[in-house]
Amino acid sequence: MSSTKRYWMDAADLNQDPAAMMARENEFPQSLPIANGDLAIDQVLGDKNFMGASTGRRDFLKFLGFGIGAATLAACETPVVKSIPYVTKPEEITPGVANWYASTYYDGQDFASILVKTREGRPIHIKGNPKFGLNRNPGLNKGSINARINSSVLSLYDSERLKNPKHKEGEGWANVDWAAADKAIGEALNAAAAADKRMVLLTNTIISPSTTAAIAALQKKYSRGEGSLLEHVQYDTVSYAGVANANAKSFGMRAFPSYDLTKADVVVSIGADFLSSWGSTSESTWQYAERRNPDGDMNKHFQFEARMSMTGANADVRVPLKLSELPLAVVALHDAIAGKRGGTPVGGGLENEAIAHAAQALLSKTAGRTVVLCGSNDEGVQVLVNSINTMLGNYGSTIDLARPSRLWQGDDKAVVSLVKDMNAGAIGAVLIAGVNPSYSIANAADFNTGLDKVGLTVSFSRYADETASRCQWMLPDNHFLESWNDYMPKAGHYALAQPAIQRLYNTRSWQSNLVKWSGGEGSYHEFIKATWRANMASHGSTSLFDDTWYQAVHDGVYAPDMAAPAAQPSSLLSPEAIGAAGAAAKQAAGGAGAFELELYTSEAIGDGQHANNPWLQEMPDPLTKITWDNYVCMAPADLLALLGSTDFKDLYLGQESPAHVVKVTVGSTEVELPAVPAPGQRAGTIAIALGYGRGANGENVGKAACITDHNGELKPVGRNAYPFTALRNGTVAYDALNASVTLTGATYPIAITQTQLTHMDRESIVKETSLAHYREPGSKSHWNHQHALPVHEDVNGDGVINAHDRKPVAEFDLWEEFAVEGVGHRWGLSIDLNSCIGCGACITACNSENNIPVVGKDEVRRSREMHWLRIDRYFSSDMTKDRAHEEGVRKIPMFTAMEVPQESPSVFFMPVMCQHCNHAPCETVCPVAATTHSNEGLNQMAYNRCIGTRYCSNNCPYKVRRFNWFNYTSEQFSEVNPAWDDLGRMVLNPDVTVRSRGVIEKCSMCVQQIQAGKLAAKKAGRPVNDGEIETACSAACGTGAIVFGDLNDKKSRVRGLAEGDRSYHMLEEIGVKPNVNYLVKVRNTDEEAHAHA
Amino acid sequence: MPLLARISERSHDFVQVSLAFCLFLFSSVASAQDAAQYATGEKLFKMHCGSCHKPDADMTGPALKGARARWEGQGDIYAWVKNNAAYRKTGNAYAQKIYDAWKGALMTAPLSVSNEEIDAILYYADNYAPPAPTGPVAGTPVETASNNESSWIWLLVLALLFLVVGLSLAGVKRGLENSVREAEGLEPIADMPRIQRFRKWAWEHKVFMSFVGLFLTVWVILRLWDAAWVIGVYGGDEVPHYKPEQPILFNHTLHAGKADKGNLGINCQYCHSSAEKSKHAGIPSANVCMNCHKAVDTGRKTGKAEIAKIYAAAGWDGKEFSGKETPIRWVKVHNLPDHVAFSHATHVAIGKLECQECHGPIDSEMDVAEQWAPLTMGWCITCHNQREVKMAGNGYYDEVMARLNDDEKLGHRELQQYLEDGKITVRELGGWECAKCHH
Repeated sequence: MSSTKRYWMDAADLNQDPAAMMARENEFPQSLPIANGDLAIDQVLGDKNFMGASTGRRDFLKFLGFGIGAATLAACETPVVKSIPYVTKPEEITPGVANWYASTYYDGQDFASILVKTREGRPIHIKGNPKFGLNRNPGLNKGSINARINSSVLSLYDSERLKNPKHKEGEGWANVDWAAADKAIGEALNAAAAADKRMVLLTNTIISPSTTAAIAALQKKYSRGEGSLLEHVQYDTVSYAGVANANAKSFGMRAFPSYDLTKADVVVSIGADFLSSWGSTSESTWQYAERRNPDGDMNKHFQFEARMSMTGANADVRVPLKLSELPLAVVALHDAIAGKRGGTPVGGGLENEAIAHAAQALLSKTAGRTVVLCGSNDEGVQVLVNSINTMLGNYGSTIDLARPSRLWQGDDKAVVSLVKDMNAGAIGAVLIAGVNPSYSIANAADFNTGLDKVGLTVSFSRYADETASRCQWMLPDNHFLESWNDYMPKAGHYALAQPAIQRLYNTRSWQSNLVKWSGGEGSYHEFIKATWRANMASHGSTSLFDDTWYQAVHDGVYAPDMAAPAAQPSSLLSPEAIGAAGAAAKQAAGGAGAFELELYTSEAIGDGQHANNPWLQEMPDPLTKITWDNYVCMAPADLLALLGSTDFKDLYLGQESPAHVVKVTVGSTEVELPAVPAPGQRAGTIAIALGYGRGANGENVGKAACITDHNGELKPVGRNAYPFTALRNGTVAYDALNASVTLTGATYPIAITQTQLTHMDRESIVKETSLAHYREPGSKSHWNHQHALPVHEDVNGDGVINAHDRKPVAEFDLWEEFAVEGVGHRWGLSIDLNSCIGCGACITACNSENNIPVVGKDEVRRSREMHWLRIDRYFSSDMTKDRAHEEGVRKIPMFTAMEVPQESPSVFFMPVMCQHCNHAPCETVCPVAATTHSNEGLNQMAYNRCIGTRYCSNNCPYKVRRFNWFNYTSEQFSEVNPAWDDLGRMVLNPDVTVRSRGVIEKCSMCVQQIQAGKLAAKKAGRPVNDGEIETACSAACGTGAIVFGDLNDKKSRVRGLAEGDRSYHMLEEIGVKPNVNYLVKVRNTDEEAHAHA
Repeated sequence: MPLLARISERSHDFVQVSLAFCLFLFSSVASAQDAAQYATGEKLFKMHCGSCHKPDADMTGPALKGARARWEGQGDIYAWVKNNAAYRKTGNAYAQKIYDAWKGALMTAPLSVSNEEIDAILYYADNYAPPAPTGPVAGTPVETASNNESSWIWLLVLALLFLVVGLSLAGVKRGLENSVREAEGLEPIADMPRIQRFRKWAWEHKVFMSFVGLFLTVWVILRLWDAAWVIGVYGGDEVPHYKPEQPILFNHTLHAGKADKGNLGINCQYCHSSAEKSKHAGIPSANVCMNCHKAVDTGRKTGKAEIAKIYAAAGWDGKEFSGKETPIRWVKVHNLPDHVAFSHATHVAIGKLECQECHGPIDSEMDVAEQWAPLTMGWCITCHNQREVKMAGNGYYDEVMARLNDDEKLGHRELQQYLEDGKITVRELGGWECAKCHH
């Protein structure tokens, strides 16, 4: 018997498995996970499989050697740079100097007078048209624009826009030239007319006098008797037909009124998100902010709503109500007012203390000093609101129907009958401009089948989108920055849009098509001039046309002195009509189920036409701080109940904590979306944003509307919620009262930029007080006390050295002090937390000015977003240090409780950018002195010196330094980053370096603008004027919350604000002495003054 | 002499040179006085008439040669020249005829010239003779380069020669040694390959070879170090200047050089007009070239062919613009990295620097533009460290000036220390700070 024992290494050894044996022979079984030779480190590191792969050591060394060699060789090469001047230089262009052109933005949901910055003929930035031009007329928006408008410059350079007119041939599309398209469509229209078929032009609300004239010209060509075969149907993606219809009923005038919130001492809004999505937000934001100054005549704002909207977040009194309670709240408010002002009570309103309170506040003001707004699109509800405002005497003061807004004239019923007629085969031709019904109407499937039955279907869309790809012709419209157009948002107020760049593609403005098809000669530009000439003649204008025209082009705004407006229409409402409206309102409140669904439009994406804009997709939602998705907002308590949990921590969203996917069902419509906790959401209600889920059937709707998701599939961003909308009482309703929510068990990663919800009672971050308390003399130490540190000397002179001996933080200095006063400039920002409404226009303006890369959902999820400016949002919590002290709650439970927001919390919005500390902690830790202090108070960042240690970021108490983990302008990020291709690069600001991988970047306080402003002053031989230099954020802020200036200029606005009582520094106690200061938030709450430690 | 002192040297020289030139040309026909008349006339012609008239050919206006003769008996030529439109209104038929013949082109009026000056101009025009195609032309860079190259070749040949001689001498020496050894009855030295022989020799001279090795290593490192400093540097004293071949042989010296050296003396900013408005000095667009070259279609040497390239770019067929434009693809000479925000406007309009301070003798020694300065950051900040800020007269700096003058209200006495060397340098006002140029 042999004594040699045999030991096996494993089962494979025992079995002598040949494959396993073979594998064992091969010592280094895997090579680098890159097959081809052209290797970029980004691709290796960015490869999702990389973490799982092992790299042969020798291969690694080979690649390392090759990489060093290649880099060295590349460094030696001298590229020959060509410099190609103009042949004939346009007089107004100086290379290197920006030109600004006044223009106008209108897309059916937003209207604003804007200024377009061009460099060497490329539009690169958009800001509001401030006081500018003849009579310094600022336009209706007074320089205020939102993120959607200032981001629209990026969509100009979208390489996925339609580049040619196209005609559907079989299953595919053939490029055609314009002449052929004109001929074919002209013939098709004539044929339809010959067959006496109705033709329809479907557009968004047209407020352009010249477009109206062009439509009329085409209608005239196909006139039949008094009318025309060509019918113009206006359709608003998000409808306000309820308001317009109610005004038709109340005043015999179908229109959306103009509002003037500057005259309103009390604003009561019932579900109207008027700062973000309801009505003319570019007007209401600045008007509202003007009345939020606690040192002036501050208004009082009540908000009744189900979802925590941006407007609700800014309200003084916010009352969460169910959607089914909102119409009843209107009834209750109506009856409360009617009781005092002799109106007709309806009865059956909601019993709620807050409504009585709001009614009292409304009644306490003199007539015409209040306004009641309502977000409902139900005619009956809006008739009651009209009745309330009539009783309060608001018409002619805060509400203007004599000169109403011309926006939102769309008629929901007309669209419904159009769909019906199309399906009946009664329509010979459909021309579609500015709207996308195949995506945005509830019964899109019916519309699509109807479209197939129409003889001629033409889309003027800029993209082969949902509707365009179902038409026979795609005749791409110009981008608005390539076109002439005119607008009349209100009677007597005109605005002009002028092209800021030559057309990039073979496109044509859709109005030119109408002019051409109606047999007109010349361009649309000439047509506009002719229209203006005729209009001015009819107005009896005596000035020379050319003078007026060129001045209007220069100003962008033309608002001639009008005769006194016509009298306000008087109310036609009878008690019976009010009773009927009340019944309708109560009907609108009926049928509530387990969950009530609200559909809203988000601040970034709006109605969905901007879903392809990566700047907007990456802009965090003001409230939820979520990017790149829509989701179901649920009350935290509801979501916990759904999850069967009581621990608030289960609701945490983060890199490793995905959201739970729920299925929302209304009738036969259902959608699966992640559910996120939304503090302030009324229990029993949920909310989903419209405008997402574009291109769900593979339509090419533009860059960034679809991205590769976490499963590696190209999917639309979010899901379409328009199918939940429904026609109710003749208007589209944006609520569905009988919804059910069920867990699917799946999870979904969410890209969220702020994971903490509350400020943990840290008043050194956000400070607030009530108006009554603020106005109490000598109360400053309560709501804005200076931090003091205990010192070992007898400061208070009581003979004992103890904890009461304190000195203000400002007196301590760890480092040698910089000279601060009298050293020339010291640039600073002042941010008024009272005026900031959280809209995020500053974020996208900063993106545009400073070439900030878009990183995409996956990177945001890893907290790698690159925004230099973020808006921190904090909810209040029930637990405070004071309460814990009173109730004897121990530290750990106290902090745990502090993380939970209140059921209806108060909200803070706090824009945070680099604070440009005079004692910057980042500067002292940089090993290579890449970040240093300037003698103008700036904390400067030299990208080329940075070696990427990220010490500075670690040492920054404000966490405003962002690190370039990858080369975000490389092809790897081409899906989301516009600047990676030659066309997208055109939007870059040539004055700002594009950063590469491995460096830190942060807010520079727009130092390029500072340098330019100083140069202008030096050239003129004068000091820098206050207000002359603006940062991108301060220029973009429509509410004036961000003020930039020279803190050492004693007359500057920013100095005045910094020295005011409300001014404080964030985290003052750490003594970094920032050059950015914040102004304490003052709420006009009823809370009486109370002592605050 | 106060009067002479007021006359600039340039014009003084110019008169003298022109005088000599004319004397040379017209010595046979003209007296010295006539030559002076000719020179004055030429100067006045260039000042008042040259942009629309040529002496010997029609341009925007008629050739001036023989104008006096043409006007003989037709009217008052002085009044006509001084105020063209006014004289025509007097009803002079010949004036109207010229006006009609030139399609209503008007002359600048009133032209402030005296009758004597008109005489001088017309004298110049009548006696005009085109300049002989001579002129100082600097040696072309190609020649310089070939000189350098050829000396290298000679050195190489010499070195090879020495090597061959050395090797053959070594062979001879070894042969002789072997003969000696043979004569002494010793074994001849084994015939080793050269490498082995060298190694053997080196081993025997270890100390010497160590020193040589050390020296060589240090030398190579130092050379590499030096070379590393000028990677990507294409100007300055240590490297050959970057001087790319341009699509058009534009001669900076000829255009911008001093007039007294026979050049045109055009101000740099006539063409690089955005230098004081923008960060870019700008390359002139072809229409700027055409301001002059509509009239000037030939040059001294290669001008005709080169100017024809401008015509091709601007679409000029000699009479009118065809509209067929092709941009000129110049090669950029001064390339700064993208992260440098250099502004010409700051340096030209505020700092009042002369172009030559950074661009070198572009108007005197550079027929072809080259990168004269190294454009390294060291070069920038060295200048910022020495250069005084031009504060006087600029209201922007009033506050700084007040503080320097010890205005107590304004504070910051530290500024005083800057004045120790008697000036405020760019650096002292923040000219070394990163974000001023890098953003």
